[in-house]
Amino acid sequence: MNKVTITLDGREVTGMPGETILDLARESGINIPTLCHHPLLSPNGACRVCLVENERNGALLAACVTPIEPGMMINTRSPRVLERRRQIVELLLASHPDTCMVCDKGNRCELRCIASEMGVGMLRLERIPQYGAIVDANPFLVRDLGKCILCGRCVKADQELVVEGALDFLGRGFGTRPATLQEVPFEHSECTFCGTCVSVCPTGALRERDALTSGSTSEQVHTTCPFCGCGCSVVLEIRGDRIIRARPGTESPVNQGTLCVRGAYGFDFVHSPERLTTPLVRRGAHLEPASWEEALSLAASGLRRLREESGPDSLAVLGAPTGTNEENYLLQRFARTVLGTPHIDNGARLHRAPSYTGVGGTLGYPGTIGTIRDIECAEVILVVGADPAASAPAVAYAIKRAVTRKGARLLLIEPRRTQLVRFASLWLRPRPGTDIALLNGLANAILAEGLVDPDLVTTRTDGFAELVSTLQRYTPAAVASLTGVTEGELVQAALAFGSAARAALVYGGGVTRARRGTDTVKALANLALLTGNVERKGTGLYALQTRNNAQGACDMGAVPDFLPGYCSVEDSAGRQKFEERWRTRLPAGRGLSASEALAAAVAGRVKGMLIVGENPLGYFPDPFAVEHGLKCLEFLVVQDLFLTETAALATVVLPAASFVEKEGTFTNFEGRVQPVRQALPPRGESRPDWQILLSLAEAMGAPLPFASVTDIEREILELVPFYEAPSLGLEAGLPTREAEPWARRRLHERLFPSTFGRFLPVEYVPEEEPSQEFPLTLVTGSSLYQFGTGMRTSRSSRLSSLVPRAYVEVSAADASVQGIWDGEQVRVVSALAAVEAVAKVCADQPAGVVFAPLASPEARFNRLFPAVIDPQSSLPVLGHVAVRLERGRLDD
Amino acid sequence: MTEAGSASGAGTIPPGLGMDADNLHRLGQTPVFDPVRVEEVINRYRGKRWVLIPLLQEIQEVCGYIPPALIPRIAEAVGMFPVQVQGVISFYSQLHTEPRGKKVVTVCRGTACHVRGGRSILKVVKEHLGIEEGETTPDLEYTLETVACIGVCALAPNMMVGRTTYGSLNPSKVARILGRPKAASGGD
Ligand code: SF4
Ligand code: SF4
Ligand code: SF4
Ligand code: FES
Ligand code: FES
Repeated sequence: MNKVTITLDGREVTGMPGETILDLARESGINIPTLCHHPLLSPNGACRVCLVENERNGALLAACVTPIEPGMMINTRSPRVLERRRQIVELLLASHPDTCMVCDKGNRCELRCIASEMGVGMLRLERIPQYGAIVDANPFLVRDLGKCILCGRCVKADQELVVEGALDFLGRGFGTRPATLQEVPFEHSECTFCGTCVSVCPTGALRERDALTSGSTSEQVHTTCPFCGCGCSVVLEIRGDRIIRARPGTESPVNQGTLCVRGAYGFDFVHSPERLTTPLVRRGAHLEPASWEEALSLAASGLRRLREESGPDSLAVLGAPTGTNEENYLLQRFARTVLGTPHIDNGARLHRAPSYTGVGGTLGYPGTIGTIRDIECAEVILVVGADPAASAPAVAYAIKRAVTRKGARLLLIEPRRTQLVRFASLWLRPRPGTDIALLNGLANAILAEGLVDPDLVTTRTDGFAELVSTLQRYTPAAVASLTGVTEGELVQAALAFGSAARAALVYGGGVTRARRGTDTVKALANLALLTGNVERKGTGLYALQTRNNAQGACDMGAVPDFLPGYCSVEDSAGRQKFEERWRTRLPAGRGLSASEALAAAVAGRVKGMLIVGENPLGYFPDPFAVEHGLKCLEFLVVQDLFLTETAALATVVLPAASFVEKEGTFTNFEGRVQPVRQALPPRGESRPDWQILLSLAEAMGAPLPFASVTDIEREILELVPFYEAPSLGLEAGLPTREAEPWARRRLHERLFPSTFGRFLPVEYVPEEEPSQEFPLTLVTGSSLYQFGTGMRTSRSSRLSSLVPRAYVEVSAADASVQGIWDGEQVRVVSALAAVEAVAKVCADQPAGVVFAPLASPEARFNRLFPAVIDPQSSLPVLGHVAVRLERGRLDD
Repeated sequence: MTEAGSASGAGTIPPGLGMDADNLHRLGQTPVFDPVRVEEVINRYRGKRWVLIPLLQEIQEVCGYIPPALIPRIAEAVGMFPVQVQGVISFYSQLHTEPRGKKVVTVCRGTACHVRGGRSILKVVKEHLGIEEGETTPDLEYTLETVACIGVCALAPNMMVGRTTYGSLNPSKVARILGRPKAASGGD
């Protein structure tokens, strides 16, 4: 391409064709004011504040939308330009209300900044009357359209970045305003309160509700969102000891200037009055405040006594994906070397294990391959058993951007109507539990159509012949009768997926939580291998992570089957490396998973437990059995932010610091290692989990050789091969970028570590049919406003105010059979328990399927699930369960 | 509240014609457009690009206006957000989301017509139809509008009914053209 040379304020400068005058000016260090322009949004050219003059012909041009042309002589500061800009800003101010002094936008208002830069103050114009504020009852954002300058950024942010379609301009001329459909308040619109429009609005027209009034904040901290596995980068604005607001990090390739409602408005749980601020120790029936010395020595002596009396095997440890990598690393080392027990698990495994066993076995790398950016480059995106709009919103945004802006085709395999359905070109609704049959059917149809990648399949994989012979049975007709998906749809999907040059496969909790989740993941990996959708940009297999550091916690080896870096505990050579480094003998063999440990507690083989940041009572199936297990323990130590149901059963409770009160790193679902930075001192006497663990080790007489997070990090870099420097971002100014080593690793150079990919054929196994007694199938999923066990989100004032009452979605067909009305109180009854909820009748839910969000603090749907353990992943199953609905409340 | 609370709740505007039925009920009307034809029109444009404006115009021809409840369906057919379609409709003065009369009476208020008595012509038309500017008769026969100049000033005062222009107006000619007695004197 030929470069273009123009004259800019008297200097010759050169740029690429297509670049705008504004781009080139900024590259050359020349400042042109802008209002409607935003680097993340498509150009608009609405405000004309960026006018410049082409001195060749006297034309006034909007710099932000005018491409450079050879020979232009641009003056950015000619008297004419300055005068016109001034007039434009004066006109904007003329229609702007006089409330700048008290406007919450304060110094962040770009209109105010530009006006003061230009010295536009007193107005010489007659004021133009404008709209007043709009009454929105939602707890998140306020619209004050009198301050709107019609720059269009909010509309573009909504449509181009998060692709929700809540806003567009309405009307023409003076009456134009950004509006929702039918001008309903935000809470009745498509708005998901992601706050992205607020973050780009240059004036006070859109702002967050209840931010502590005007002015600027004293400190900004770049950190990583602690809610879901997307790992969005956020900027926390801090004043005093409070988070005033959260803004999206604009540099991050993960969220690219967006957040979801949890990241934008959910952080105030750290200020909750319910935070634990002192250690608690059990005196009789009560937990009472105690000093750290007392609590630590009690915890240490209790654990030591059990280890001496009943052996290290009598102790088990459970960590959480909310901990940093460093904490999870430390926790597994604490378990394996200080306590000497192999029984270490973490709550993340609940969703992660099928992925690392399934993908690890086939592709050889136990995690997501590819990045969010890759999803955006795919031609076809197949989403299986996932509702990313609720569980991993940043991924949903990427998928929707791919569809609306790049013309990607979206194929959905999902029993429920999720938000993505609107964007899908094909929506397959298999009966719950038949995913494997459907995926095998797709693979078979792809084989039949000759759409396999011959090169990859013949030269670089094992097991193809076995796969072919297994797939033979999954003819379109057979699959159609098993799954309820028509033959036509099946073949259509196979053609679309198989013939795409680049296809991405995204799966979520609907797969990993279900029975035989590991096999489903294998079927997905087979599909990706078969079509050659690995190893290239725009392809890949994506395991959505509902919980933030799920990937990192498993990478760090806080699991019963792997040492850090997925070194199998059964691999003695690998174990030796750790034994030498840690100068100790490691317990041989696989440890017990948390569910197994709790069962062992009932049997009296496990007697003591350390639980860090996890609340199995709120999360695991059959919580009555969990509770029984916990109560059978002689000794339980819990580290947490809040007194959870689990902590309430403990002997010693140690108050933990939240993610804003400590340093470390989180690994997102892509495998990107990102910084967690301290913004506030720990609340009360709480301490970061890593400090607590170090003190505990010391109190047990086995101090660990770390004094800081950086020390732990150093050991991780040494022992976990794929956590190479400089991807750990503590020193770096911003979260890690595309170019760094992890990205090379994910982008497939070493994809098949054993040089071969392996097809692992899997068979569909029918489950028991719904019975007369329990005719419906309950499927569970995520909800956007409640998260995990709701431990944190229910303590966020704004999120919890929007939480609907516990609900269960019922198909119109089932509702009419049972005479259930929308909004009626119902009991959801399984063979195990009953839970109360409000029925939400959904027209297009398939009959026979009811849905409930797993994270409902007031209705623990996990109670309905029997403690069935998936043998391959030793995970409890939370996918679906047979239920019936009854009208009325629990005590009726 | 619960609707907004369910992240992945489907669109908040129910499909079907609920809202317009309400509107029309208020006007004492029943829907006057033919759902089969609407369906046919939308399907003919489905999946094509750059067809929003012609699609909207055709819907307006079939229904007389663009029923707001159809916006989500139109949007879905052309792959846009309903709110974008709403924005486009509101941008063009020729597109309407309120029911319109079968015939639009456009009385000229330009200077030439004004000096030749255009104002009293408007008054007469209003009396005949029993409505104000921008309104539609309850039987959905007529909508009254005004315009700055029709472009045939030589014949002033002027008005248009549908696409036909009538010049050199006087009250009795207006009565003949509108072909109905004054609304005030009761309907037929
Ligand atoms: S908060 Fe998010 S979803 Fe709501 S209007 Fe703004 S950008 Fe759209
Ligand atoms: S509300 Fe803000 S972002 Fe949206 S058009 Fe108005 S000034 Fe621009
Ligand atoms: S998408 Fe996930 S990581 Fe991003 S802001 Fe929302 S909860 Fe946080
Ligand atoms: S910034 Fe260029 S037109 Fe607004
Ligand atoms: S002024 Fe009436 S037609 Fe021109």
